[in-house]
Amino acid sequence: MDVKALTENGVTANESVTPNPPTKRNSGFWKSVLQQKYLYLMSLPFVIWVFIFSYVPLWGWLMAFQNYKPKKSFTEQKWVGLDNFKELFHDERFYLVLRNTLAMSLLGLIFGFVVPILFAVMLNELRGNVFKRTVQTVSYLPHFVSWVVVGGIVYKTLSIDGGIVNDLLIWLNVIDEPIQFMAKAKMFWGVLTVADLWKETGWNAIIYLAAITGIDKELYEAAKVDGAGRIKQMFNITLPGIRTTITVLLIMSIGHLVGIGFEKQFQLSNNMVTDYSEVLDMYALKYGIQIARFSYGTAISMFTSVVSVILLLVANGVMKKVTKESIM
Amino acid sequence: MKSKSIKTAFTLMLMSSMLIAGCGGNNNNNAADSTATNAPANTGNNAEASAPADEAMDTSPVTFTFFGADASPNWNKMQDDVGKVITEKTGVTLDAEFDVGSGGGDQKIAMMAASGDVPDMIFAKGNLGTLVDAGLILDLTDLIDKYAPNLKKIYGENMNRLKYSNDDQKIYSIPTNMGVDQQSFDAGGGFEIQHRVLKELGYPQVKTLADYEKVLKDYVALHPETDGQPTIPLTLNADDWKIMITVTNPAFLTTGAPDDGEYYVDPTTYEAKLHYKRPEEKEYFRWLNGMYAQGLLDKDTFVQKDDQYKAKVASGRVLGLISQEWEYQDGENALKAAGKDEYTYAHFPVTLSDQYKDHSFQTTGIDAAGISITTAAKDPVRIIKWLDWMSSEEAQILKNWGVEGKQYTVNADGKREIPADIQDRKSNDAANFAKETGIGQYNIFGAHYGDGVKDSTGNYYTTNFPEQIVASYSDAEKESLKAYNATTWKDLFPGEDAFPTKEWGALYNMPVPTDGQYQVIFKKTQDIIRKRIPEAILSKPADFDKVYDAFLAELDKAGAQDMEKEYTELVKKRVSLWTGKQL
Repeated sequence: MDVKALTENGVTANESVTPNPPTKRNSGFWKSVLQQKYLYLMSLPFVIWVFIFSYVPLWGWLMAFQNYKPKKSFTEQKWVGLDNFKELFHDERFYLVLRNTLAMSLLGLIFGFVVPILFAVMLNELRGNVFKRTVQTVSYLPHFVSWVVVGGIVYKTLSIDGGIVNDLLIWLNVIDEPIQFMAKAKMFWGVLTVADLWKETGWNAIIYLAAITGIDKELYEAAKVDGAGRIKQMFNITLPGIRTTITVLLIMSIGHLVGIGFEKQFQLSNNMVTDYSEVLDMYALKYGIQIARFSYGTAISMFTSVVSVILLLVANGVMKKVTKESIM
Repeated sequence: MKSKSIKTAFTLMLMSSMLIAGCGGNNNNNAADSTATNAPANTGNNAEASAPADEAMDTSPVTFTFFGADASPNWNKMQDDVGKVITEKTGVTLDAEFDVGSGGGDQKIAMMAASGDVPDMIFAKGNLGTLVDAGLILDLTDLIDKYAPNLKKIYGENMNRLKYSNDDQKIYSIPTNMGVDQQSFDAGGGFEIQHRVLKELGYPQVKTLADYEKVLKDYVALHPETDGQPTIPLTLNADDWKIMITVTNPAFLTTGAPDDGEYYVDPTTYEAKLHYKRPEEKEYFRWLNGMYAQGLLDKDTFVQKDDQYKAKVASGRVLGLISQEWEYQDGENALKAAGKDEYTYAHFPVTLSDQYKDHSFQTTGIDAAGISITTAAKDPVRIIKWLDWMSSEEAQILKNWGVEGKQYTVNADGKREIPADIQDRKSNDAANFAKETGIGQYNIFGAHYGDGVKDSTGNYYTTNFPEQIVASYSDAEKESLKAYNATTWKDLFPGEDAFPTKEWGALYNMPVPTDGQYQVIFKKTQDIIRKRIPEAILSKPADFDKVYDAFLAELDKAGAQDMEKEYTELVKKRVSLWTGKQL
């Protein structure tokens, strides 16, 4: 019996191993590890860092399945199964904040993606080096201004009490009465997107500018010889030249669609617009942490993370199929 | 292990104090007796009374960490005059952190509860419950009993009121955010109007909302611009929790109800309900709605942030406010510093109609946010002793008056006086004065008597007493007061004796359950209130009823009725804990 079982096992093992190439690739993998051991050693600290700071804290997700009370030890906590998630999915407020989150991140994705690329490409076409550098520096400076300050600037600019936007519109006779932009809930997404563009366009363009510099100059010369104008060069050389960069950044930002943080919304919102300004993270703060419902907060953030991972994988898969480029 | 080391510390301290007392001989024994019986009133000399406490007290340098849930922009890390004396006398230095912005401490304290990482002492305000439930706050009952004669004396027979709740009768915080036995001499609330407005209109009667409205309307018609900018008849601050101070609380103040936070409690049945449900209050909001429709209420009201609001006040172009002095103080201080006294504000107890009385001065008894000692404190005995010292007569005078010879002098009759130049700085350069001297910066550290209470030398504990208050008024203020036949603003308001002391204290200090649905429903109703009240005020007058009724329906839909029921139970329990009534 024993012998038979052993041989049987042996046979199946053999069967599955011998004809399959992976083993070979596997041994090849270990060989290359040995060959590149110094490279692996050098990356080891970062792997450990990621493990400690990104994976170890994940055990805290268990909180989402408990009724967590800070004073009790882990074993004393009461397990409640999926109760927190049930409550989350039954709260109509949750769907509202989810809508806001998705709407604002989609707007951010579309504009925060297209505008910097256009900006980079156009900046690249400029001749004067001094002018080009000045524009670049001036445009990315707002990136270093914190949202608290930007919030103040936005409020001041859009104020009905001497705000420049209203003054300008009245002067141009577009409107008769100043518009209270920050009190109009439906305008909030727009205001936020524009503020975000103002702050981040220059900064986001840097990476594309860097990619553009990497394009072989001979290509442009060859195109000129072939009689391509500047527009044609732009579409046939510059844009395809940075396509890889665009794809990688796009996939990564899709991964962040749900987890957009709440800094800007927190700074720009007021009581009048909460129905349009509250995002998932703010909801987690208000209905989780602020009233000491840590488990509920964890459930929300767990939801965010899982959705993010799914979105990332889907985006990556689609890109792989369509453009043959991906980050994994 | 920990309790053992505390015990050792106790024994050592006890032994050393006995040793010192023994060496001291007769004089000291007498003095020690007087502290033990807590009767410094007889000792006459204040220094003698506190001498034994000093000797027994460990004055080796020590640093306590602290977090305060209220912003304290003038905190000077104890490098001010008062702070230096405190450190010198007690050896204690505070490593203090205060909440920023509009305060409240919600975020910080929630994080502390989650992480368990707390400072030695905390002034948690409305978030104490979170920390108590997290098991981070020490029970002070025994500590006060053993080491805090001054605290016991101040709270006297009201010690019951320090207990947390009927179900958990421990003492978690010392109510320091109030003056005990306070007899207010001045009013800082009500409805505010600039002195220049009153003067020009010939000091009209301001008693009802209609009076108030007329004053603002008349003046803005005469002066549509102030210093080249449009005049703002009325502005409110709706940023975060301040919406309660300037928008929603006035609804019950104008309609004859006392401040019980977001609730109204029926004084006979103790039934609690969200105060917005009172039909009178709807009329108040209708009035605000009308003010907005007429263009008298600033269009920016519900959009502006705290700092924009204060900047507006400081510009002097806001004719009227509906607020508390501490809330717009920074703006008014700027006006005073610029010498624009006529742009500062008078206070009136405005009500919806003649039939209501302003209940601002109904006393709550001892009940206030206070200071707590956390489980992180290494030496709670030293802390409670320090807090007790901070509650001594000597310390109270130091905290309120400053340092003798610097911020005040004692005249031949033994009366404390503030020199004129100091008073001038105190009124007109308040922020810098507070920063340099530390006066008013240490009030929450230790219990203290309120205005109108006299110390063993026959002087008032605080600097707020009629003569001093009048001395701190600007000429513009005095002129307005004179026109209304009053010496202080308080004279215009119904006083403490007009109402019975509230049996349930100040409900905004009552701990609520942090478990279960209560907090969630409360948060939801708060969200609804802060969204719908502005909406109702800004709606077209014809739509006001519709919006307001929909708002009330929405509250109930969010579970307000269950929440009110739970709250009623808590109120009843509190009343029976404090008064012994069976409910």
